[in-house]
Parts: sequence; structure tokens; C-alpha cells
Amino acid sequence: MDLGLAGQFLLNGLVLGVIYAMVAVGFTLFFGVLDVIKFSHGDVVMAGGFTALAAFAVLRMLGLESGMMAALILAVAAMAAMAVLGTLVAKFLVLPLKGSPPLNTLLITLMFGLALREAVRLFYPGGSNPKPFPRLLPENAWTFGNFTLRLDSALLLLIGIGAILGVQVLVRRTRLGLAIRAVAQDAETATVMGIDLKRIVLLTFALGSALAALAGVANGLYYSEINFSMGLLLGVIGFSSAVVGGLGSVYGAIIGGALFAALQTIGAIWFSVPAYKDVFAFACIIALMAWKPTGLIAERPAERV
Amino acid sequence: MTRRAPAWPTVLAAAAGAATVTLFLRLEAQWEIALLALMVVAAALAATRLGLLGRFEASSAAHPRFALGATLAAALAVTALLHDSHFELLMLATVALYVTACLGLTLQLGYAGVVNFAGAAFFGIGAYTAAVLMTHSALPHLLVLALGGMLAGLIGSVLLLPMLRTRGHYAALITIAFGILFRTFLEVNDTLGGPQGLKVPGLEVGGFSFNAPVFLGAQREASFYLGYTLLALLLAAGTFVLVKRLERSWVGLSLDAVRSDETAAAAYGIDVARWKIMAFTAGNVLAGLAGALYATMAGFVAPASFTFGDSLLMLSIVLLGGSGNPLGVIPAAVLVVVLPEKLQVIQEYRLLLFALLVILILRFRPDGLLPRRMREYFPGWRQT
Amino acid sequence: MRRLATVLALLAAACGAASARDTVQLAFIGPLTGGVAANGLGGRNSADLAVRLRNADPGARYRYQLTVLDDECKPNVGVQVATKAAADRRVIAAVAHYCSTVAMGTVDVYHRFGLPVVVWGAVLPDITYKNDFDEIHRVNGTMINQNEVAARFMTGLKYRRWVVIHDTTDYGKGHNQYFSEYLKSRGGEIAGTFPVGAEQQDFNAELTKIKELKPEVIYFGGLTPIGVRIRSQMDRLGISAVFQGTSGIVSDAFIEGLGPLAEGTLAFREGAPVDKLPGGRHFIEQYASQKYGEPPEAYGPFAFAAANLIMDAIEKVGPDRRKVLGELNATRDRDSIVGKITFDDHGQNTVALITKFIVQDGKWVVWEDSDYAKGRRKLPRS
Repeated sequence: MDLGLAGQFLLNGLVLGVIYAMVAVGFTLFFGVLDVIKFSHGDVVMAGGFTALAAFAVLRMLGLESGMMAALILAVAAMAAMAVLGTLVAKFLVLPLKGSPPLNTLLITLMFGLALREAVRLFYPGGSNPKPFPRLLPENAWTFGNFTLRLDSALLLLIGIGAILGVQVLVRRTRLGLAIRAVAQDAETATVMGIDLKRIVLLTFALGSALAALAGVANGLYYSEINFSMGLLLGVIGFSSAVVGGLGSVYGAIIGGALFAALQTIGAIWFSVPAYKDVFAFACIIALMAWKPTGLIAERPAERV
Repeated sequence: MTRRAPAWPTVLAAAAGAATVTLFLRLEAQWEIALLALMVVAAALAATRLGLLGRFEASSAAHPRFALGATLAAALAVTALLHDSHFELLMLATVALYVTACLGLTLQLGYAGVVNFAGAAFFGIGAYTAAVLMTHSALPHLLVLALGGMLAGLIGSVLLLPMLRTRGHYAALITIAFGILFRTFLEVNDTLGGPQGLKVPGLEVGGFSFNAPVFLGAQREASFYLGYTLLALLLAAGTFVLVKRLERSWVGLSLDAVRSDETAAAAYGIDVARWKIMAFTAGNVLAGLAGALYATMAGFVAPASFTFGDSLLMLSIVLLGGSGNPLGVIPAAVLVVVLPEKLQVIQEYRLLLFALLVILILRFRPDGLLPRRMREYFPGWRQT
Repeated sequence: MRRLATVLALLAAACGAASARDTVQLAFIGPLTGGVAANGLGGRNSADLAVRLRNADPGARYRYQLTVLDDECKPNVGVQVATKAAADRRVIAAVAHYCSTVAMGTVDVYHRFGLPVVVWGAVLPDITYKNDFDEIHRVNGTMINQNEVAARFMTGLKYRRWVVIHDTTDYGKGHNQYFSEYLKSRGGEIAGTFPVGAEQQDFNAELTKIKELKPEVIYFGGLTPIGVRIRSQMDRLGISAVFQGTSGIVSDAFIEGLGPLAEGTLAFREGAPVDKLPGGRHFIEQYASQKYGEPPEAYGPFAFAAANLIMDAIEKVGPDRRKVLGELNATRDRDSIVGKITFDDHGQNTVALITKFIVQDGKWVVWEDSDYAKGRRKLPRS
């Protein structure tokens, strides 16, 4: 395989990895802060994409339908809407179940994800069909032999990396981040120290969901299409990435996302029928879990006996 | 001091259940069905208020064999009443098979606390085993059904190592990944039919073909689904007895200990790994068995029948009915399988409605419709 | 005595009222949701139109009712709804299936219950030819002719090097089989064949490999949703080959999904465009007058013809499945809006005409009418 082709595979893998990492960071944030897996996260990604689409319809009516400005407005609209949704989920579904076994929270968020998916399928006009997503990013391309770099792919890559780094900076360098890390480490002590637990939890959920919305818009722009079931696989992949990387660690989520994308790309190249790549990637995940049950950057679990 | 609870609540419940199910399956007009559904809900609420539910459970606990007999008689009565309608019998058989598979999930989740998000995948393993073996080999069909179950258990054991080493969310991930892997593998693989699926020949036992038309006497023709329905009911009844017996035995006790607190159970000398393995494998075998029978009855299997959504549906049956209560699985399965078929208006919305229903239950009544009662060492004993 | 007379009179009146037309049920089965819903809805509307027109006809012996079922273009759902329709003794016959993969699964069900069925949109030959079931008939053509014409036409345009992408359902595999056969017999070269999943999202891996093979044409055997994705991702990777599809992508949804990228896509479909059919104008007028929310799409007229065929049979022999089956099997040179219908010994109608389409300025245009045919526009690397 020549260099250009290898480069092409690398580029594809990178964009995928960044999208997966964005979803995985959300999972890891929620887990860190509340020890819960919000399984509806993947469907929030999908809902973010659809919100952007709806916003686009509004923009089109106002005549502002093209260019980077429109893309920005869509992203902001989706992120705001999903932040609100995430907060509502935290308030009504997750926080009330704080005391009960974690399985219940997993199940309730799973069911919520299913409900969200079905709601979009049923109530969004034409929801059950794949819907074209507007092409808003510039499409100039540079070709070097077998390697084609499109400007919008590069832009998506940069935006995604920027978003993840932004979250990392937020968590590590700001007061809000400090509060989040405190709650993640020990919720009781954090409360005693004067941190409003409820507010931090709601903010964290808002943050994670906004990131998911961005991933949804990025996904839509990359494939020029969204459909109501895209959240399921993305959610499972995001969850797998977060787990394999080690729940609770943002670096782990990034590593996990990149790893999953790498596994898929290797699977695609290796097998003569590229469609086996998902089977390969998931099998590797199961094997990895058997080897390192708590992820690559291991969680330090503390259990009350 | 110990008075055995009377038997009449059991008979009443069985008769009421039989009548409701028959009516549900028979009625066609939408408003009639909606009315029936409302009446059932009202009756259930009334029963809860008047404590009839408790009476029924005490009664069935006091006379277990009689309760089983009454339920079987009720099921047979329903079958007899519907003997000539194809689709109704098909639904009844499907309910019975889902009950079997979900009883397996109850073993895993309700007793051992092992969460399995790939229930539909194990159901599918049994189904595909039946499809392949019935078409390509001359093995007797009953053996094929058993093999379906065993293969499901065997393949499930591949997941055991990762599952035993992980807990909670991590363990959940493994079964989720497996479910997706299973479906993707089937879709990509041509030898197992790919997305087109496989046709499955009808069941044949000792020369008697289950697909042949059934004649009762000279004039009456029953639906050919009659054979399948009876077999499915037999399977469900057998599984029910098995699960109930397991629960009441020391096996159930050990499983409960493992679920409640693994560390404490281990401290008391219970081999946690062994019980988890037993529950997980047994549950998968049951799901595989049900899947194999389902495949030969429907005559067709495809990867799209065994998705993550279907696994979630099975889990919601277990949760709705009351996690750990085998009796609760029956009304929950009837609700989940039959209601969307009959109430056409909700057919499209069924996944949404069930998701919302389970959310409400998890939020407000996490124990389900028929919560699992406290373990009784002297059944039927009531404090006087 | 008086009371008895009143009761008898009432009974007689009731019987008299009942002898006004009995209701006969027909089933329509097609993909009403999912990626190819447009075709399913068009077919449903067309069948509905046929039923309405028949019910408005004072000379009809029966009153018809259309039971509509959604097969979601999935084989397992199709088998479930087919079982439901076939097991219901009131349903006399069915107008069934646009998706070949579904039809392949359901033919056994129809045979098991003895329900006569007329297929209106599925093109896989195996549906009628792989079995000996009397119950299965089809008014539209099969993909054999489609691919033969495609191979001849494209090699005629002097293309030589192909890559084939097809979905892994029987439909895609069938297209691959026939097209490859005909192409090779005409000297075309197939540099690679790539099976893809029917719900696959990301084709970058396959397309990157395809880029290396440098084809002139990419042949796609599959349906619209995947076609849209592949064409879109082709552009992202800078692949400039011609995109050639089958009847599965001849739909408005394909153009809607791609916008300007759809320009220059070729496809082949059996049957003439609606307005060139013998009964086409009449059908279009009647369809428009009913104000349906969706257009009839390519196979609507076939659904219309199928429904009418069934209702004609019921009018002649009554609502009995076996009799209707016998009547359908005897169809020879029956007039319909899609031309004359004759069922051969496998229940297959022959539709000889294949239309070549190309996307021009956001519309599917018949090749002969297009600027490309007249030389005013050029296809890449032609």
C-alpha cells in the first residue's frame, strides 16, 4: 500500500477517532461525577444532529443558509438545546435514583435513550428515513497522489480536538473544573467543603451533553446525513472507548476513542470484506476487558463493604 | 397456629387470567380492546387495594402443585378456545416462548444479579442453530432444539472470563458488545444467510409434522399452530417449575446472597464465581431453547430479529413483571407481546411506550408489577 | 302472531340490506417506513386509488377494503406481517412487496397459507423462479433484463473498467451476479467487488481501497439510502468515476439526498416512464385528483395494475382464495395501464422495455431526452 493510501486511511481513522472521543469524554465526565453511566448519551448525539437540522430549516426560512456562519449557529443551537436536555435528564431521571443500585440508573437511561430514538423517528417529519445534512463547510480539496485532503475534514478534525482540549482545560484549570473533580473524588466531603452537589452535577451533565451535540453536528457534516438510529452504535462505541480507556479519566476517553477507531481501520484494511471491521473491533474490546477489567488507565475503585 | 391459605384465590386468578387473555386475542375492534385494557388496569388497581394480590400469592404458595395445575388448565382452556385461529395461536405460542426466555433472564438478573444485555442474541443463537441443523442434517428435531439451548450456553461461556473479572458497568459493556458483535457477524457472513436470513423447516417429531393441517374429527380443522403452541406451553411450564424450585432451594439462596452482596457472600464461603457461571449459563440455555422452537415455528430467521432493542424488550419484561418474581413474567410478557399487535394504534409507538413505561416503573415502583415477596421458609404460614 | 310477523319482516329487511355489496379484503404490503418509504407509500397510494375507483364503479359486485401493512423493508418484519395477512381468512389476496429481500422471505408464508399474491415492485428473479409456488405472481419485470441492457449500453459508451459495490441482501447479490455476467460477456473488466451492509454508514474503508483500483465506473447494486451515502463519500475522497446504479436508486430521495452531487448518475429500470405507459395519462390524472401526499414513484402504476388484476379476478369468481388463484394463473394478454399482462408458468409477467435514466439538473431524465445523449454535456472520462 502506498503512502498516499496509508495517509488516507490515517485521516479517515483520525476523524472517526475524534468523534468517538468526544462521545467518550461525555461518558467519562458523567461517570466521574456521579458514578453513573448515562446510556442515553449516544442518542443525545443523534438528537443534537436533528436539532441542528431543525435549526437549519429555520435559517433557511430566514435566508441565512450557507457558509461557516450558519454552521456555527447550528452548532450553538444544538449545543444549547442538548445542554438543557442533559440537565433535565439529570434532574428527573438520574439524581432521584442516586441511592438505588447502579443497574437501575443504567437501565433508566438506556430506556430514555430508546424513548428519545423512537420519539425522533415518530415525531420528526420524515424521521424514519435518513435525512440529508446541509453541506456548510468549504469543500476545497488538495490531492497529493492517492491522498485527498478536504478542507472540511481537516476543519472537523481541528474543531473536535479543540473541543476535547477545551474540556480538558476546563476540568483541570478552572474553579468549575476543580469543583467537578472534587465531587468526582468524594461527593460527601465536597458537600462538606461547601460545593453545591446538585448544581455541579447538573452543570456536568449540561457540559457533557453539549459536547455530544457538537459530536452530532460534526457527524452530520462529515457524512452529510443523519438518521435516527445513528446514536445507538455511536453510544456503544463511545461507552466502549470510555471504559477501555478507563472510566473517570478524560485522557483515557481520548485514548479509548482513538483505539477504537484504530481497531476499526485495521479491521477494514486487514479483512478482504471491510464490513467485518465492527466484529473485529468489538471482539478486541471484549478481549481487552478480560485482560484489563477496569480499563487501560485503571479506575481506583473504593467500595463500602 | 399455622393455617394453610385457601385455594380459591388461585382458581379465581387462573380463570380471570384465562378469560382476559382469550378476550384480548379474540377481539378485533380497537375500541373494544382499549376498553378491555382499561378494565384490566382498573381491576388490577382494585385488587391491589383490596389486598387480593397478597391473598393470591399466599394461596399459590400454599398449594404449589394445585396452582401449577390450575394455570396449566387455564392455558389449555385458552388454547382450546382459540384452536382454529392461526394468528392468535401464534401469538400465544410467542408469549409462551418469551416467558421461557425471560425466565432464563430472571435467573440471571433477578436471582444472581448478572445483567445480560444480549438476551436476544442468545435467543438468536438457538434460532440459528435450529435453522442450520434442521436444514443441513438429519438429526431428530427434538435433539436439535436441545442443541440450540446448549450451543447458546456454550457460546455464552466464552464471555464468562471477562464477565467474572468485571463488575457493574463493565460487565454490562461486555454483553452489549457481544450482542452487537453477534448481529453484525450474522449480517456480514454469507454462510449463515446474511441479512437475507434463513428459512427453517417445520418441526417433525417421529414422522408427525407440526406444519401439517390438524383435523379434530371429520369436520373441525384446527390451526396447524396448535402443535407448536402446546409444545411451547409445555416448555414454559417446565421452565417455570424449574425456576420456582431453584428459587426455593439452597441454589436460590446462594444466588440471592451473591446478588445482594458479593463480598459478604464470599466471606461466608459461597463460591461467587461458580454461582454466577451457573446462573448465566442456565439462563442462556433457556433462552437458546426458546429461540430454537421459535425459529421452527416462524419458519424464518434473520439477524434483524435479534437486535439490541429486542434484548432491551426482554429485559423490560423481566423488570415490568417484578425482577426476581417468575410469576410476574407472565402478565408482563402478555403485555409486551400481545398489546402492540392488537392495539394497532400503538403498534408504531410500542417501543416508545414500553420505554416510557419502564422509566416510570424504575422511577416510582422499581419492584415491578408483582414485586418479589420475602422468602418464606414455611410456605403458606400466616401469622394468626 | 303480529309480533312474529314484525320480527320476520325486520329479518327480511336486514337480509335485503345485507345483500347490498359484501366487503372483500385485500392486503397491501410494502415498505411504509425506512429508507425506501417513498416507493412503498407511492405503491400504497396507487393500490388505494385502484380500490377507490373500483368501489365507485356501480357495476362492481363487491365492496373492496384495502388492509395496509408495513414491512419496513426488513425480512423478519415482512414475514411477520405476511403471516398476519395470510393467516387472516378474510384477506383474499395481497399486493405485495417492493423490497426483494422481504419477498424472498415471505414467499413460503404465502404458499403455506394459500394466499394468492401479486408482486408489484421487487425485481429479484428468484422470487418467481426459484420456487414452484402457484401463489406467487409478479407484474413488474426482473433485474435480468435491466442488467443486460446496462452492460450493453455502458460498454457501448466505451467504458472498460468497473468496480462493483453491492449490498449483501439477495437483491444486491442478484444485481452483482447478473451484471457481472453480462459485463464480462461484453469484455468489460471488473477490478474489484465489495459487498456492503444494507444499513452501513461509513464506506471510507471500501472507497479508499477502490480509489487504489482506479475504476472508470462504479456500479452500485442496492437501494437509495446506501447509494446516497456512497456517492457522497466518493466525492469526499476525490473519486471521480461515473456512478451507475439500478432501479433501486431511481427515486426523488436519491437526488434530494445528494443535491448537485447527483448530477451525471446513470441508472436503468424496467418499464417506461409513467407518462409513456399505455394507461399512464389516465393514471396520472386520477392519482392527482385524489390529492395524495406522496407521488406514485416508479412502481406505483404496477401496484395499481396488480390491485386491479386481483379485483377483476374476485369479480369473476368470487371471494375465494383458491378460485382467485386459478383465475390469476390463467392470466393471458390482460390489458392494464402497464401494457398487456401475461403470467408464464412461474407467474412472471414479461416487461421487455428497459429505460435508461440519467440525473440532469436535479431530475431523473430519460437518456434519449438528455443533453448527455445529444453530446451537449459530457460524462467524466468518457
